[in-house]
Amino acid sequence: MLYIYLAILAMVLGLTLWVLFSTKKPSLQVTAAMVMVPLLLRLLLIK
Amino acid sequence: MKKHTITAILCAAVALIAAAIAGTSFLEARKQTPIVKGPGVSEIKMLSDWFPGLKGSPGDTEVYILRGAKPGASMLVLGGTHPNEPSGHLAAVMLIERAQLPSGTLYVIPRANASGFTHNDAQEGAPQKFTIQTPAGPRVFRYGSRATNPIHQWPDPNVYIHASSGQTLSGSETRNLNRGYPGRPDGTLTERICYGIVQLIKQENITITVDLHEASPEYPVINAIVAHPKAMSLASDTVLGLEMQDIAIRLEPSPVNLRGLTHRELGDFTDTLPVLMETANASQGRLRGRTDEALVLTGKDKWYVRAARLGRLYVPYDEKGHPLDERVGRHLAGIQELAFSWTLSHEDQPLEFEGLPSYDDLMTDGLGAWLNPPSAPQS
Repeated sequence: MLYIYLAILAMVLGLTLWVLFSTKKPSLQVTAAMVMVPLLLRLLLIK
Repeated sequence: MKKHTITAILCAAVALIAAAIAGTSFLEARKQTPIVKGPGVSEIKMLSDWFPGLKGSPGDTEVYILRGAKPGASMLVLGGTHPNEPSGHLAAVMLIERAQLPSGTLYVIPRANASGFTHNDAQEGAPQKFTIQTPAGPRVFRYGSRATNPIHQWPDPNVYIHASSGQTLSGSETRNLNRGYPGRPDGTLTERICYGIVQLIKQENITITVDLHEASPEYPVINAIVAHPKAMSLASDTVLGLEMQDIAIRLEPSPVNLRGLTHRELGDFTDTLPVLMETANASQGRLRGRTDEALVLTGKDKWYVRAARLGRLYVPYDEKGHPLDERVGRHLAGIQELAFSWTLSHEDQPLEFEGLPSYDDLMTDGLGAWLNPPSAPQS
């Protein structure tokens, strides 16, 4: 179960990064960066 | 390099820095704050000494043993069953740091749910720690969560089914230590902690078990002792003794149909006399305003004062609040009165305490005056 959770997290984080680097809208880039923070903490099993 | 790629790199860098700062703070919460053992402590063991299934797990926790000069009855005190209820943890710490026993044996688990001390409840805005000033410097204590850290026990089921009764509760209650008794050796981490505590009680033949809690001021069971039927006589004597010290306290019978709690299951499944004590903690209440260290320490909250004026609370509440000194004082007075009431009717099995501050001492001097200096040898 944990590994499925981590795989889903990694996929969502990858998609978020893709949005961050492909979009030309600054507001969307800032939003993607904010979304990255909890995803990173969860991927590392910190929070 | 294109402009939007440069801004993306900048945004990613800021996100990484934010994650690093937040991550460091969250990881810091996993370090236990020191407890400075006092002269009465004879031995420090781990809960896994009674149930090896906990060894090396985040649920394993220290058990401080204070053996009296003479034999007698035994008492187990559980602090930190809910780590967002600090008076229970602090009262247990005070027992470890100050108590000495002329007779009997005291077992203290200051962090009953050690995992719960490693995180906060989401969306509560609660502080991660609070500081008490002592004459020799500040002492820092952790303010944790009501439940086991989901990093240590995950995922929650949609519905939590209490193993021995079939009672159904919200899924997150599966991580609530005080819904898991008597526990299971092959259950979840929370159930295994419960099982470990039950093994300690059985193997050491604990006479009295006291579980220390706090409640929201709007919760009906507050400033109260909840007792299992077989502990009701002892609890009644204790309430009378506390009232004679001008400490107002209610006596509540343990509900038969509310399962998994210490005051019910420890009485049903072991020979101990279980009681649970509650004090008033605004920092866990639903009506509170700003939630910070000051609220934990003082209990001063204008919204609770207003709620009291509207008759919505089950405890008196004014501008003086309910400081942690008072709440710890109530717990310590209750524990001493339980031992005194027991000894009065069991002279052949005494349980006596010395060295502890009275309720009035704590109200006059404050907790800091009675805690050991932070520089003393630590456990």
